[in-house]
Amino acid sequence: MNRLLPHLERLAADQRWTYRASRESSAEPAAWSALALASHGQADAAIAACTWLAGLQQRDGSVGVNAREAEPRWPTSLAILAWNAVDQTSGQQRFRTPIERAIAWSLRDQGKTAPRSPEVGHDTEIVGWSWAAATHSWLEPTCFFVLALRSTGNAQHARANDGLRMIRDRLLPDGGANYGNTVVMGQALLPHIEPTGLALLCLAGSQSVSNDERLPKSLDYLRSEVHERTAPTSLAFACLGLAAHGRRPSKATDWMIGHLERARPALSAYERSLLLLAAAQDARWAGIGPVAATYSLLQVAAT
Amino acid sequence: MNNREPLRTPAITRRAAMQSTGAAVLGVAAWAAVRALQWRPEPVFVAKNQRYEGALSTTIRDGLVACGFKPADFRGRRVLLKPNLVEPSRRIPHMTTHPAIIVAAAEVFRTWGASVRVGEAPGHVRDTLMALAESGVGEALDDGGLEFADLNYESVAWRRNTGRFSPLKGLYLPQSVLGADFVVSMPKMKTHHHVGMTASMKNFYGVLPGIKYGWPKNVLHHNGIPETVVDINCVLPRTLAIVDGIDCMEGDGPILGSRKSMGLVVVGPNVAAVDATVARIMGLEPERISYMKLASRAVGPIDDRSIEQRGEPWRRVASPFNILDRPYLQSLRSDHVALAT
Repeated sequence: MNRLLPHLERLAADQRWTYRASRESSAEPAAWSALALASHGQADAAIAACTWLAGLQQRDGSVGVNAREAEPRWPTSLAILAWNAVDQTSGQQRFRTPIERAIAWSLRDQGKTAPRSPEVGHDTEIVGWSWAAATHSWLEPTCFFVLALRSTGNAQHARANDGLRMIRDRLLPDGGANYGNTVVMGQALLPHIEPTGLALLCLAGSQSVSNDERLPKSLDYLRSEVHERTAPTSLAFACLGLAAHGRRPSKATDWMIGHLERARPALSAYERSLLLLAAAQDARWAGIGPVAATYSLLQVAAT
Repeated sequence: MNNREPLRTPAITRRAAMQSTGAAVLGVAAWAAVRALQWRPEPVFVAKNQRYEGALSTTIRDGLVACGFKPADFRGRRVLLKPNLVEPSRRIPHMTTHPAIIVAAAEVFRTWGASVRVGEAPGHVRDTLMALAESGVGEALDDGGLEFADLNYESVAWRRNTGRFSPLKGLYLPQSVLGADFVVSMPKMKTHHHVGMTASMKNFYGVLPGIKYGWPKNVLHHNGIPETVVDINCVLPRTLAIVDGIDCMEGDGPILGSRKSMGLVVVGPNVAAVDATVARIMGLEPERISYMKLASRAVGPIDDRSIEQRGEPWRRVASPFNILDRPYLQSLRSDHVALAT
């Protein structure tokens, strides 16, 4: 029996999309849940999460973090990814209007820039996206919005290009990435698995980075750091990033199943979704349905 | 509610001060200056020769008792321990609060009849399980049967900014913080390349949820680090501090600095008084550290004359920390340390 199936069924049955720490549905877990289901060809099961996300959409097109908190609005990017994945997989345009409104908001929104400083190694003048309004651009929200724009056919938009430039700029000198600072006061900062995986996912196929030695260093960093005990979300993002460059660990799916089947710690919908999304890239599971190409949904490999 | 009401009653009232000096002359700023000098003395306990393998629960218990706490103060109360897990890395264990001191503190409060949780909103990493693994805290909590509250992703509620040092009208706090009777700051004693040093008060940046403030909590930076540090300390429930000063960080703190072994544990009921003592131990002048100066107007005393030293006197354990060679940091050095070195 396919060991992913019971977890997919559970995900499909979810009516609440939560982080580990809260019983309250939140936009991010809902979006990853829809993406995971769509990646496994279960677009119908993803409609509930997508509809709930559409209900969160504000008049200006943005999507807040949950039903009570309309700000900050970075989950707008993930809602776009989820809506688009479901529409692509189902062949319908059920969420076309929310997508268009969300894209319009995303293109208006931008993180603050700052004059360059000799104390800071990265280019603070590149425009990306911030976590919260009126603050600087950071790596992870910029990655989310770049993926959202790419997935909806806006890969060549100037904002997507600037975002990609920022992601590349934020790679650490010896590879890897963190929340978005590189060198501060002369010292290179620490890499972390999750942002590195996400950055590599975004940079896959990008010509601008093909000769950048930080790319193979980043891949090597991830390969050396990821193992079966790596925490679920870091493992998922690492595998998404590595797979986008043909470096997915051969045991990655086994590691993910290990997390899914382990009794403790109990996984949240957020973690389960990310693991299942990353597991969708393993061709061995093709028998469970039309394993849609996660990359196609994220429009990474096509760039 | 906070601990400042019963403990911070100035020795003179505002009305009395206004009358004695003339209301027309003494404005708000002058009142603040007067108030800063009028805190009741606050106790701070310092223990030396401490080791992570040692009897830390005994030290912490002794420190709390020396500062006037009684077991009955905590019986049936909800205690939230807040360590510093800003960006844990196995390669830099002196960046984050050691698991042993967290478990020891939990043991003390549990023995005294409190229900204890450990909560943190790591500032630089979204994957909290990874932060728990890298810091070793997750394993220690499992072994100790302690529950962890992920403050980055909990449901939040808004509270009016009673500090009003920054322009923020209010702050969002996680439910575990709002539901606690005591929030115990358990920082690592470290230098900080922006504000000089970080201990109990700055550690409370880590109670604000990333889901509202981001990773890092850039909203706070944009509204002023010193101002938001004090604002957060003004809106929290009752607080106290237990500082991990055993293996500390000097130089390029709070992330990449070097290890400095001090073997200290510092305990106190007033976070401003604790941090002022920690600063003096590190060879820094609290009155020159911007957020401490602000805190002296709203959180507690930083003047050495208003702090009652218990345990080891800070002068006996002081050892200047290396700080980066930047004028704004070097200017924080205590004069007598500068003369002595």
